Amino acid sequence: MTTIWLRHKRGVFLAAMLLLCFPMPGRAASWEEVQKEAAKITSINARFTQSKHMNILARPLVSQGRFYFQAPDSVRWEYTSPVKSILLMNRGEIKRYTLGSRGLVEDATGSLQSMQVVLREISQWSRGRFTKNEHFSATLKWGKEPKIILAPKEKGMAKMISRIVISLSSDRPGVLESVAIFENEGNHTLFAFTDVAINVPLDESLFRKP
Amino acid sequence: MMTRHMITAGAALFLLTVLFTSCSTLPAIRSLDAAGTQAAAERCRRPFLDAPHRFVHAIEAGIPERAMGTVLGITLFDPPSGIVRSAILTLEGFVLFDARYDKGVEVYRAVPPFDAPRFGENMIADIRLIFLAPQGRLLLAGTLENGAIACRYEDPRGQTVDVIVRRDDAWEIGTYGNHNEPLRRVEAFSVNNRIPEAVALTGFLTVDYKLRMTLISAEPVSPEDVKKP
Repeated sequence: MTTIWLRHKRGVFLAAMLLLCFPMPGRAASWEEVQKEAAKITSINARFTQSKHMNILARPLVSQGRFYFQAPDSVRWEYTSPVKSILLMNRGEIKRYTLGSRGLVEDATGSLQSMQVVLREISQWSRGRFTKNEHFSATLKWGKEPKIILAPKEKGMAKMISRIVISLSSDRPGVLESVAIFENEGNHTLFAFTDVAINVPLDESLFRKP
Repeated sequence: MMTRHMITAGAALFLLTVLFTSCSTLPAIRSLDAAGTQAAAERCRRPFLDAPHRFVHAIEAGIPERAMGTVLGITLFDPPSGIVRSAILTLEGFVLFDARYDKGVEVYRAVPPFDAPRFGENMIADIRLIFLAPQGRLLLAGTLENGAIACRYEDPRGQTVDVIVRRDDAWEIGTYGNHNEPLRRVEAFSVNNRIPEAVALTGFLTVDYKLRMTLISAEPVSPEDVKKP
């Protein structure tokens, strides 16, 4: 039971990471507007830089890659460095491929069970439904640097993720600037985005083939 | 028709076979003269850095001949004090395991399956085996039949530790139990300036397991970096 719960939390971490797939309106003033703007997004193609900050690292551990999203729930989350890895989500099916000593092989360790949770979270977030999330309570902070702050509702979750801060572009509605996932003191992961293209046609094979 | 005597003899033969194969012999190390022994002993220290370092690896972990999962490993170690800090992360940055060893293992965070009993102790033992020179008494220093330098130590727990350094600086470490049964084997490949590009560790404990560590970065750090909790 504990294992399932912790897998669940790990899944929520991944889901939080995949928040990046769903741009938020930069100038919305209410959750209704967030949902309205989210509904306009049909696809995303962007580069990302993931910076892991830990007190045992002098500099952040940087990973880079690209992600693609096609509404309603197809995702290609591709790391190009330091380890090549591709996560594919397409029509409810999830696969991960990682480049290692045996070439690019499909992950068969069972860790993808947690991704079932991710899909459920994504289906909510993709509709801008932050306020109905069972794990996090959401706060909108609008101003020069608009933010959505997600705080865990349960103590168990709070031990793993203390908060998630989503920074929105102030001058480009519908574009995320970064997502920071805070695990505990001195330990957080920052995802930053560049070259974000919204609502451009994407090849369907991107979500099926590594 | 088998008699009871034949069955007993067969069972005894089976047991003898099992005993014989489980009590493996250690690699034969040829002795050298005093100067050669001294030089061999010094060369056996070559795999182990003298100053504190931080390593980041991509780690493929799993059971031999089975599918493996990949995680990121951050390791800090301070050879003079023997202090080790280790963290395991998913590729997405989620911390699965975080622990520190300073005369004992202190686990700061462990997410299943990394919270299994004794996982922290075994994990730290693997890291110490890879990065820190063997503790205990040097029993023998010499060469193997293939010309590689080899040293045999008896660690404080009575286990045997063999360190083998080849001409190209690639190295191997083997640990053996009281009956010379293999416990762990570490192989280092493509060694540049004493730092291997890849390390493979096979554990022959209750369940066999294998780790393949591919270097992402290695850098010297201060002893304080390793010591801070």
